[in-house]
Amino acid sequence: MSSQKKANFQIEAFKHRVVVDPKYAEKTWKILEHAIHEIYNHNASGLSFEELYRNAYNMVLHKFGEKLYSGLVSTMTSHLKEIAVSIEASQGALFLEELDRKWTEHNKALQMIRDILMYMDRTFIPSTHKTPVHELGLNLWRDNIVHTIKIQMRLKDTLLELVQRERAGEVINRGLMRNVVKMLMDLGSSVYQEDFEKPFLVVSADFYRGESQLFIESCDCGDYLKKAEKRLNEEIERVSHYLDAKSEVKITNVVEKEMIESQMNRLVHMENSGLVNMLMDDKYEDLGRMYHLFRRVPNGLSLIRDVMTSHIRETGKQLVTDPDRLKDPVDFVQRLLDERDKHDKIITLSFNNDKMFQNALNSSFEYFINLNTRSPEFISLFVDDKLRKGLKGVSEEDVEIVLDKVMMLFRYLQEKDIFEKYYKQHLAKRLLSNKSVSEDAERSLILKLKTECGYQFTSKLEGMFTDMKTSDDTMKGFYTAMGSELGDGPTLVVHVLTTGSWPTQSTPTCHLPSEILTVCDKFKMYYLGTHSGRRLTWQTNMGSADIKATFGRGQKHELNVSTFQMCVLMLFNNGDGLSYREIEQATEILTVDLKRCLQSLACAKGKNVLRKEPMSKDIGEDDTFFFNDKFSSKFYKVKIGTVVAQKESEPEKQETRQRVEEDRKPQIEAAIVRIMKARRVLDHNNIVAEVTKQLQSRFLPNPVVIKKRIESLIEREFLERDKDDRKLYRYLA
Amino acid sequence: MPRVSKRKSDPVKSSEPATKKITKEVERIDSFFASYANTSLGMIDPEGVEKLCSDLSVEHTDVRVLMLAWKMNAKKQGYFTQDEWRTGLKSLHADTLKKLKKQLPELQKEVAMKENFEDFYCFSFCYCLTEDKQKNLDIETACVLLNLVLGRAYNLQVDSFIEYLKFQKEYKVINMDQWTNFYRFCQEIEFPDLKNYDDCLAWPIILDNFVDWLREKSTSA
Repeated sequence: MSSQKKANFQIEAFKHRVVVDPKYAEKTWKILEHAIHEIYNHNASGLSFEELYRNAYNMVLHKFGEKLYSGLVSTMTSHLKEIAVSIEASQGALFLEELDRKWTEHNKALQMIRDILMYMDRTFIPSTHKTPVHELGLNLWRDNIVHTIKIQMRLKDTLLELVQRERAGEVINRGLMRNVVKMLMDLGSSVYQEDFEKPFLVVSADFYRGESQLFIESCDCGDYLKKAEKRLNEEIERVSHYLDAKSEVKITNVVEKEMIESQMNRLVHMENSGLVNMLMDDKYEDLGRMYHLFRRVPNGLSLIRDVMTSHIRETGKQLVTDPDRLKDPVDFVQRLLDERDKHDKIITLSFNNDKMFQNALNSSFEYFINLNTRSPEFISLFVDDKLRKGLKGVSEEDVEIVLDKVMMLFRYLQEKDIFEKYYKQHLAKRLLSNKSVSEDAERSLILKLKTECGYQFTSKLEGMFTDMKTSDDTMKGFYTAMGSELGDGPTLVVHVLTTGSWPTQSTPTCHLPSEILTVCDKFKMYYLGTHSGRRLTWQTNMGSADIKATFGRGQKHELNVSTFQMCVLMLFNNGDGLSYREIEQATEILTVDLKRCLQSLACAKGKNVLRKEPMSKDIGEDDTFFFNDKFSSKFYKVKIGTVVAQKESEPEKQETRQRVEEDRKPQIEAAIVRIMKARRVLDHNNIVAEVTKQLQSRFLPNPVVIKKRIESLIEREFLERDKDDRKLYRYLA
Repeated sequence: MPRVSKRKSDPVKSSEPATKKITKEVERIDSFFASYANTSLGMIDPEGVEKLCSDLSVEHTDVRVLMLAWKMNAKKQGYFTQDEWRTGLKSLHADTLKKLKKQLPELQKEVAMKENFEDFYCFSFCYCLTEDKQKNLDIETACVLLNLVLGRAYNLQVDSFIEYLKFQKEYKVINMDQWTNFYRFCQEIEFPDLKNYDDCLAWPIILDNFVDWLREKSTSA
């Protein structure tokens, strides 16, 4: 055979078309259709993947893709319709199980089918813009199963019912739920939302509305919040277990709105258990819960803040206007500090140290502290008490803590210049009587004041310390130079005070005993010898003396008295049974001071070195005084005259306030001139605003006082009114 | 040349009668002055002023005397120097008593003119500061002066304000600033309803207090 065909062996191209068997497509399709049936009937094991793939491939290759595709659609559809029937037929709880099972099977089938038809998926489908196989499978499932009327409704109701049962406390099959919900999600987010999420949210809203009504009638605030928190956490957990993560925000919003937002006001104002009660009882946990829950809703935190603010303001106002509280300044300030600490703790522990609440606390304190015009004085007295004895033996760190707290209160004061005046007075007394617990503490506080208010505020205070040091050196010099001359005379300790730095006092009259006068004169001579051009005036109302006294049965005591008291007592060296008038004449001390001095010498229990006739409580101008031989005391050293800082009496307070007001006038004028010099022309309202701003670190100027100062400056031709514009002032250079 | 000379001569010719006229006027004014002046002082003193007033048939407390002082820009109350006299009467074109008397109504009209009145008003305050370096007027005098100067034009405001000044205790004197502002008050503020008074504006405090007092009175009334 081969020899015949040896010559002219040519390879010819196909000259004729390969005719595909017209029945080829139909035959091939039938094979594939059968395969699909088998797959759906769980008989896939008998199929050859390779063969089926090839068949599908050939169909597409020979341009029968369309037939293949449409065949696929109709085959799958008919199967799904059968499945739908079986699902619909299932009873009760089995409904969901059946649905889930069939879904799983469908997915498996779909995968196999997709693998078989992969060539079509990759070539025919993209070029014809048809839906890919997998997606097609999902859509068909959706249309033929999930969105059939009966199943759709039943599915939704079943799912919602299960959720409801779980909310009521039942345990449900979460795995099943998860699968079914995932099915909806796989079918498309709009399916999930329309078929489940939206109705879920509506039903939940109704449910929680009912819950909130129920709880609010039966629970107190703390319990309600606990329940709300519990429900909220439940929903979050539910989502994590079997819902789409995107649903979390939506469902939590529903709970927040129905359980928190709608009942916010009622909860906060609930009698006996609302916010105010929680604050008063330091219910940190409940408050923390309230904070975290209310934070989730609009205006939740501002509601808490507003109620807290008005509560603090109210309690604060009562504190500062309660007459009982005002009797003891130190206690008053301590109470203020305690209140502040209490609320500070609440904000730290329960309110996440939220700045908004810090600010509310500060503004409330600022409001009510300034309601009482004696606050500056009292704070200074508190500091005085601490620096005198309160901080004795306290560690340096703790001292700093106390001083920082005091500074906090200081910042709230509007009238800082009044505080300065009192602080100066009290500091002077402490320094002169050497009663300060620790110089470091004093210095530390002054440094803090300087940081807060600037150099101006504290320069004079520092001057006072300098004077004390300088005086020490002066005394050393005095005794070195004059020691021999003084001999047995009384020992003198002099503090030389620079007039400007120390609180001004009127120089009182007082006739010093001759022994004292001698040594005083010697000092004066020494001092003026080394400092020419200065003038020294003895401030007898600020001095003290230690004198040794011998009483009736020979007992000796050392008495620590004020200078005035010393002058009075020395008189009894030369006489006894002195009348008030005799004493007055000899000492030349002013009535007010003399009466106070005699009172502490004769009427104070345990310190009565003098005896008074008659034995009344008050000093009368006809009284007679005797040296009290029978005086006794446990201690050798007896302290009688103390120059302790005290709460001022009413007239003293008026006087101090008046002096401060006087001091303010030049400050206001200086501010006005400064401002006008810079701006040249300015209208009235702006001047007032600028002046207030410039002075606010010291005090709050009264607009009427500012206006008066402006008029005074106009009179003195520093300023003039503008001739045309009624509102303007001009600076006159 | 003749032309030049003509020119030369012309001014001389025309000024001669003019200067003659002027000097005649000055002479008359001076002699008018002399008839009232205190020769040792060299100026008209209060006595002379009184005599002048009676000759003019006006009270010496009449506002027209004040106006005359204003016209003369007189410095010292109760006295007129020769210069002041000359200044005043020249501008009034009054060199005899008769002419002066006739000019008084004209003078009043002149003072009442808007551009002059404020000047006159301020002048009258300064004129009353009789002491050296005196800057303020005591309340009594201020009230009298207010009445004299503003009484006719703004009698409601003046009466009210005088009542207030006598009632209040805060201010014992009135200064220039307060004086001038009262006039502005009369001009700008509706009286007696005071609707457009804004105390946030830069009115002197004495007027703020005055308005408060008026408002209190009207609510309690």
